[in-house]
Amino acid sequence: MSSLSRPQRIWKHLRREWQLYLMLLPTVIWLLVFLYKPMYGLQVAFKDYSIFRGVAGSPWIGFEHFQVLFGNDQFIRALKNTVIISFYSLLIGFPMPILLALMFNEVLNQKFKKSAQTIVYLPHFISSVIIAGIVITAFSPSAGIVNTVIGWFGMDPIYFLTKPEWFRPIFIGTGIWQEAGFQSIVYLAAIAGVSPTLYESAVIDGASRWQMMWKITVPAILPTIIIMLIIRIGNILEVSFEMIILLYQPATYETADVVNTFIFRQGIQAGQYDFAAAAGLFNAVVAFVLVITANSLSRRYSRVSLW
Amino acid sequence: MSGVQLRQVVKRYGDIDVVHGIDLDVAEQEFVVLVGPSGCGKSTTLRMIAGLEEISDGTIDIDGRVVNEVAPKDRDVAMVFQNYALYPHLNVADNIAFGLRIRRVAKDEIERSVQEVAGILGLTDYLERRPADLSGGQRQRVAMGRAIVRHPKVFLFDEPLSNLDAQLRTQMRAEIKRLHARLGVTSIYVTHDQVEAMTLADRIVVMSDGHIEQIGTPMELFMNPANRFVASFIGSPPMNQLEGQLRHVNDKPVAALDDGTQIPLPSFKGAVANEGSRIVVGIRPEDVLLQNPGSGDAVPIEVNLIEPLGSEALIHASVANHPFVIKTDTYGDISHLSDIDKFHVDMSRIKVFDEASGQSLISHYKG
Amino acid sequence: MANMNLYSRGDRLFVITNMVLIGLFAISTLYPFIYIASLSMSSGFEARAGKVLLTPVAFTLEAYQYVLSDSQFWISYGNTFIYTIGGTIASLAFIIPGAYALSRPQLFGRRFWNLVVAFTMWFNAGLIPFFLNMKDLGLLDSYFGIIIGFAVNGFNIILLRNFFESVPQSFEEAARMDGANEFQVLWKVYLPLSKPAIATITLFCIVSRWNGFFWAMVLLQDEDKIPLQVFLRHTIATLSDDQEFGNSLMNANYSFETVSAAIIVCSIIPVLLVYPFMQKYFEKGILLGGVKE
Repeated sequence: MSSLSRPQRIWKHLRREWQLYLMLLPTVIWLLVFLYKPMYGLQVAFKDYSIFRGVAGSPWIGFEHFQVLFGNDQFIRALKNTVIISFYSLLIGFPMPILLALMFNEVLNQKFKKSAQTIVYLPHFISSVIIAGIVITAFSPSAGIVNTVIGWFGMDPIYFLTKPEWFRPIFIGTGIWQEAGFQSIVYLAAIAGVSPTLYESAVIDGASRWQMMWKITVPAILPTIIIMLIIRIGNILEVSFEMIILLYQPATYETADVVNTFIFRQGIQAGQYDFAAAAGLFNAVVAFVLVITANSLSRRYSRVSLW
Repeated sequence: MSGVQLRQVVKRYGDIDVVHGIDLDVAEQEFVVLVGPSGCGKSTTLRMIAGLEEISDGTIDIDGRVVNEVAPKDRDVAMVFQNYALYPHLNVADNIAFGLRIRRVAKDEIERSVQEVAGILGLTDYLERRPADLSGGQRQRVAMGRAIVRHPKVFLFDEPLSNLDAQLRTQMRAEIKRLHARLGVTSIYVTHDQVEAMTLADRIVVMSDGHIEQIGTPMELFMNPANRFVASFIGSPPMNQLEGQLRHVNDKPVAALDDGTQIPLPSFKGAVANEGSRIVVGIRPEDVLLQNPGSGDAVPIEVNLIEPLGSEALIHASVANHPFVIKTDTYGDISHLSDIDKFHVDMSRIKVFDEASGQSLISHYKG
Repeated sequence: MANMNLYSRGDRLFVITNMVLIGLFAISTLYPFIYIASLSMSSGFEARAGKVLLTPVAFTLEAYQYVLSDSQFWISYGNTFIYTIGGTIASLAFIIPGAYALSRPQLFGRRFWNLVVAFTMWFNAGLIPFFLNMKDLGLLDSYFGIIIGFAVNGFNIILLRNFFESVPQSFEEAARMDGANEFQVLWKVYLPLSKPAIATITLFCIVSRWNGFFWAMVLLQDEDKIPLQVFLRHTIATLSDDQEFGNSLMNANYSFETVSAAIIVCSIIPVLLVYPFMQKYFEKGILLGGVKE
């Protein structure tokens, strides 16, 4: 047993290490003010919020907003769109960076490889406003390159961004175009970790490059693939709504409106803060459960986790 | 009263004690080596002296002042780390000067001190280099330079040679010893290598499981280990230890091994009183006599393997089905060694330990 | 360089096909940028007619003249610099000491404090409570609100914390024995040792600040405070509405398309200028923060 009491020990420790706590303090205060205080503010989801009474002063109304929410066709539609857009993004977008990494690995000319990588990483660093601007310009009915090409085949121009059936392909395609290259970095790193002796012994055994790719490289990066997949599934509600706001319009809400854009319109644009906060709380809770499940799965699978 | 004193020093993590109340007096200018297997608490003890670990209980006294509550920088000690902890972004001169700059020592004073230390350590030509461009031995010297430049009352070394190859280690060992002779600063040195301990120390402190097993000069520990642990830790190859029962045959004490083999023992105080108790006989590989010295009975032995080392050879054998190692001079010929079937012991060197407590029952060497 | 003659015919075919496919992907990535650049330097009339494919048609810089003569463009450009520089400095000022403290084993309640940071990555109160909070704090329409309100980010703290943890503890101990206090240890030892990680985070901050759009749009109503991205969005949105009216405000030498393209080019240039410096760092940086054993 110690000769010092607990408070005495804590005091002694603080006197010795106070500088560390001083360093931590600004970050903790920031987190409290900007991220934890809004969590307290989430109570407006259960209140009849009025700007004049503030968060604490507004009267409680229980689950009324949630009842309205689940009877609201627009919200149900947004929920459905979120899941559908995420699902297709995952289905098509997830294999792309893996494929790209495998292909990069087969390039023998290092200069070519480096330049190609430099190019395909670039769109990740371009703002969504610019990407959206490029998309809007490229798909414009009069001048856009896409309609110009369609015109060569004798077809009439299509005003793509007003057509609900075209929104998802354009949005998902844009996402892949922007991020696939950058996401391949993780897989390239995993591939770089494969021992070269495996390939050397395979060459001596007479394996072709195609066989080495499928029999050595892919199994070696499988753990990384599975972890990334679990993480992606955990983040499935996280559609990049900023890009949707930039690309959608009332004509395409039918297929484009997701939960976060719904919240943005109902809350920030229309001022129904309490109702929109209820939608946000629902979204956050589901996302939290998904992320925690995904993280514990990845931890169990590989003892590697994001956090 | 200078030097370092530890009184009942305890280190506790949660409810687990890793150092169990250590007492140690290091005299001024003395070179003391803490040695023991990994996890024995030697590094923790050193780090408590440095002030890098809090002292859970007891007191540490440096140069007549209790330093329990004193920050490391105010203890007037300097430390050489196992990985040297040289700042890779600073060149050699700046690494050596780092502590002086932090302490706001005057510029010309720093310049002079760095030059002086570089001179002592033969680093004058390397002052502009970064650590990455130095050899292992040079990095080691810079690490020592960083300690020396502050003229501390005590030097602390935490396994400073363990990252070097065998040849360089021998060379740096000698250099540290010369440096200590020249500067005469009280030094406490931690290592797990008993050869390093033997060659460097004025006194060695053998530790295990957070306890001090024995404190003494290198020869004291070698000749007169206090218990089985010290006996097996000091000396290479380690002392052979055979379990048996203390008996008297013709009024002379013998150790009766479990298969009936008898090893003659010298008479010692308490031998008669302990008749019949379980003991351990300790025989150093180099104390085995292959020729009959004319007294005592021979012990039968079965040779399994011979390892020639040049001037010496190791004979791996069994005595009463226990492994037993003999170190002997070859005089250039090992052919006869495989024919050995018995050995004699040098009565003046044999050790006897109590099996239960592990403590030595017999001592020869008064140092 | 590998000797192709050592490969079988099948392998050669495979390697070449692969290279062609990668080349196509790279071109498809690069093409939209070239297209936009050419568009911005073409005449409005030709652009309208869809004649621009690869190189400028009827070369003119009038779209740029139009953009660069707009004082609002310069104001927003200046604002973006303020938000980027101020925001990046604010981020580093919070994140570096915070991450250092979190990386120290002697920090009491370290697991708890790390959880306080990590929890914000798992659970987010959402748009509305964050917006109301900014409003309550009086940070709408404020430079300070944008700069401070987005300074800390759990991912960056954890990335840097992981890096600090990978530096051997003995560097801190050696510096402390040399007389340094924690601030000196961080400033004189850990920061110089962590240059790659700091560079990575600085670049992430710069890019996210330069590109930040949504919250700037929501929080800033005052035209004199909006950053470039919001200005760009406004311009694209209003000009594209205008075209319904026959582009009456435009003469033939620039159009909605060419002006949008010119603003896009102007706002991409700084990113392209820092991009070569970034590439060295972000490949490592992303791995540093991403997966921790």
